[in-house]
Amino acid sequence: MAVAAVHSGGIADHIHPEPQGFLRKYVFSIDHKIIGIQYMITAGLFMIMAGMLAELIRVQLMKANGGFMTPDTYNQVYSIHGSTMVWLVIIPMLTGAFGNLIFPVQIGARDVAFPWLNMISFWLFPPAGLMLYSSFLMGAPAAGWTEYPPMSLQGVAGTSMWCAAIFLVGVSSTMTGINFLVTILKMRAPGMTFTRMPLFVWGQFVTAPLLMIATTALGAALAALFVQREFGVPFFDPTKGGSPLLWQHMFWFYSHPAVYIMILPAFGMISEILPTFARKPIFGYKMIAFSSSAIAILGFMVWAHHMFTSGMAPYLQLPFMVLTMLIAIPTGIKIFSWITTLWGGVIHFDSPMLFAIGFLATFTLGGITGVFLAAVPFDLHAHGTYFIVAHLHYVLVGGSLMGILAGLHFWYPKMTGRLMNEKWGKWSFWLFFIGFNGTFLPMHWLGMWGMPRRVAVYDPQFLFWNQVASIFSFVMTLAMILVIVNVLWSIRNGKRSGPNPWRARTLEWQIPSPMPYYNFKHVPSVFGNPYDFGEPLPYRGLEEELTDSPPPIPVAAH
Amino acid sequence: MEWLVENRDPVVRLDRTFWSVTALLGVLALAAVLWWALAPIRAIMPEAVDKAYQIDTLFRFLAASGTALFVYVCGYLIYFSIAFRKRASDPPDKIGVQIHDSHSLEFSWTLIPTIFVVIMAIFSIRIWYGIEFAPPNTLVVEALGHQWDYSFRYPGVNGEVAEMHLPVGQPVTLHVSSYDVIHSFWVPDMRLKADMVPGLINTLDFTPTKPGKYSIVCTEFCGTLHGDMRSGTSNDKAYLYVDPPDRYQTWYRQTQLAQAHAGNTIAVASTSGVNLAGGDAGAGKQLFAQKCSACHAIGPFDQKVVGPGLKGVLHDPAHPNLVNGQPATPANVSKILQNGFSGPMGRMPNQTQNAISDKDIANLVAYLNSLK
Repeated sequence: MAVAAVHSGGIADHIHPEPQGFLRKYVFSIDHKIIGIQYMITAGLFMIMAGMLAELIRVQLMKANGGFMTPDTYNQVYSIHGSTMVWLVIIPMLTGAFGNLIFPVQIGARDVAFPWLNMISFWLFPPAGLMLYSSFLMGAPAAGWTEYPPMSLQGVAGTSMWCAAIFLVGVSSTMTGINFLVTILKMRAPGMTFTRMPLFVWGQFVTAPLLMIATTALGAALAALFVQREFGVPFFDPTKGGSPLLWQHMFWFYSHPAVYIMILPAFGMISEILPTFARKPIFGYKMIAFSSSAIAILGFMVWAHHMFTSGMAPYLQLPFMVLTMLIAIPTGIKIFSWITTLWGGVIHFDSPMLFAIGFLATFTLGGITGVFLAAVPFDLHAHGTYFIVAHLHYVLVGGSLMGILAGLHFWYPKMTGRLMNEKWGKWSFWLFFIGFNGTFLPMHWLGMWGMPRRVAVYDPQFLFWNQVASIFSFVMTLAMILVIVNVLWSIRNGKRSGPNPWRARTLEWQIPSPMPYYNFKHVPSVFGNPYDFGEPLPYRGLEEELTDSPPPIPVAAH
Repeated sequence: MEWLVENRDPVVRLDRTFWSVTALLGVLALAAVLWWALAPIRAIMPEAVDKAYQIDTLFRFLAASGTALFVYVCGYLIYFSIAFRKRASDPPDKIGVQIHDSHSLEFSWTLIPTIFVVIMAIFSIRIWYGIEFAPPNTLVVEALGHQWDYSFRYPGVNGEVAEMHLPVGQPVTLHVSSYDVIHSFWVPDMRLKADMVPGLINTLDFTPTKPGKYSIVCTEFCGTLHGDMRSGTSNDKAYLYVDPPDRYQTWYRQTQLAQAHAGNTIAVASTSGVNLAGGDAGAGKQLFAQKCSACHAIGPFDQKVVGPGLKGVLHDPAHPNLVNGQPATPANVSKILQNGFSGPMGRMPNQTQNAISDKDIANLVAYLNSLK
């Protein structure tokens, strides 16, 4: 019957008609690809804001006694920097932006399971960001992105605004998690078994339950903090029967899984990019997929390793320490598999590959220092110091952000039909890599030597390495400016990419760039895994995707 | 594990370059291990307490194994990137070796980190045991956090003191807590920290091993001047001094004396003291029974009724200083009888409230002086 439909000028299928008005097409869109780009633009704008805040921090720390900002302003600046980067940049970029844009196509779906929910998820996100930044008008929250009470109870009015803003982002994340999980479970193309899913889909698949389950704990914690601040219900006040540690447990019960929300999709991206540019199957596909699942499950059982010095029963420290160390095993499996993927390849060093290889080096270092911190006796020294700042930036910038940049250079053609400027891409990689390491590597020894984090002024003995960090941070900023210029310039001036510039084998590369509204003229069938270079593609039903044959006819047209 | 393996891969032979690079990386990794084993950590940061040495040992182990791993990861990354780069002479559609997985390789790189994690966990737990549990008979000291400095409390010392002194070699139990928000007590040279959480008492156990003056730093964000909450700033002058035992004792006695007054309010002393000459111990004894025995026993110092026992107050060297911190002399005792006392240790009526004359005071002092 489908064949008959083709000959009569189109394919009847259960899709909705493509919206025509500007508002429905680009603003209140229910198309996962448009929503993905909306997320990317919004998160990109917030990244520029938070990046500028980061530079304010580094300028302040050029001098031991500060002076560029008052301590109060400094505290607001670094708090908003952290909150923005975590909730408004890294998480939306990896799930809302790249998740939405790519994974439904990779599983051969026409959209996510709940397109309207997807639209609502997105439209909660910009208002939440504006609320967060509007808190600067009434005095922004100043107790770090973790906002521990009782400090956050002393905080100015903006702290309540922070609670509301982050709560809203949390609702958005939860809905995205449900949406992605159902999509992956129910909407895979025929033949797309779990062990044939591209590894980026695996990344989203294990991230979705984390978004769904963990974020609820954060919501409860934020509600409690808001209620105490505004109505005086003493959840966290020890003089009235509350406990400051209650917040820490609830917050980290979310925020440790959130660490994996911020890295598992990036693992997925790296697992797509490495085989494509090495022209070689990913090594140990199943172990990479299963180790992601193991990390997601273990990630729920380790939250109190953020609280070794906060005060808990001594014997409780042991299970948290050992479980945290166990995460090194699946993470190690991944890193070894990625490196072995390079062995025997024919490696093309295009800019996505450079970022992916940079990711391997920097993320490995961040992972190693993470294992250090799992050991309670070492954590008693390093907790709350610049060693933590170094570690978290190595995993979040050297890991997540490096993954995002790799993914951006890799999938940019699928959004625009054009390649990013390769020369600028290489420059931005090297500037970023050098700037990043120069900024954050010295923070390891600054912390070991005794510099606490979150300080507006510091002991003059730490001056030299702080100045080094600040100067290299300017290099990193230069790299980010170059990336932004490249993105904007390439929209109109980039080289036309064609459908598959990297000769990749996952489904999104088998349809035109930019991807059409309905994704596939025919939903394809899948017969094998996506990484067997040199063999015919393991899909059937894609013959017409790149031809001029008419698009499918929406149901409503009948 | 067979189900993990797809048995259609070409057989792989590793060439001599691979093994040479592996050996070279082994040498570099070994050098890194040696460096961490011998690194002059103590020269850079003194180890002020016994636990610092143990924590440094754990750090050397972690850093050595971490660096060795990092050397291998980055070494292979660079080597593979160079050796397997696409060369200009390669045809554009050249593909790599189509291998998917390897049972033995994946098994070994699951097993090796597992063994490593087990060793690390055992090592960490052993050191953790040494850190978490204290020997008996420790000196108990309290540290309290304020926005934005520290104060300390010692057994037998009234009120709070601004500096921390500890005798070298004496096992210490430090209890920490806070007055306002969460602070942290960190002495980098001790390698130990505990958060000061309001409503909660956290504990550190250690034995100072090296006399010296050490900085105390707050590592938990505590508000505007968090960055100034470290020893030696205009805001926070609290240092930790580890003293030889005799110097510590001297400091402790002086502090006890100086602090005895702290927080106590004593009515303005009369300008003219009482003439104690000619006091009658017998009349004093009678008066004591009427006016004083409701609160004071004629017994050793610690035989308390409301106030302390007063036998030997003017003669027994074991009898501590007076409640106002002054040494027990007839003149000082008479001042307390005249002015009374009110403060954290209790209160005592003054001369008017007690309805005693100057002569009565002279008699009472004579009586107390006769008790030896």
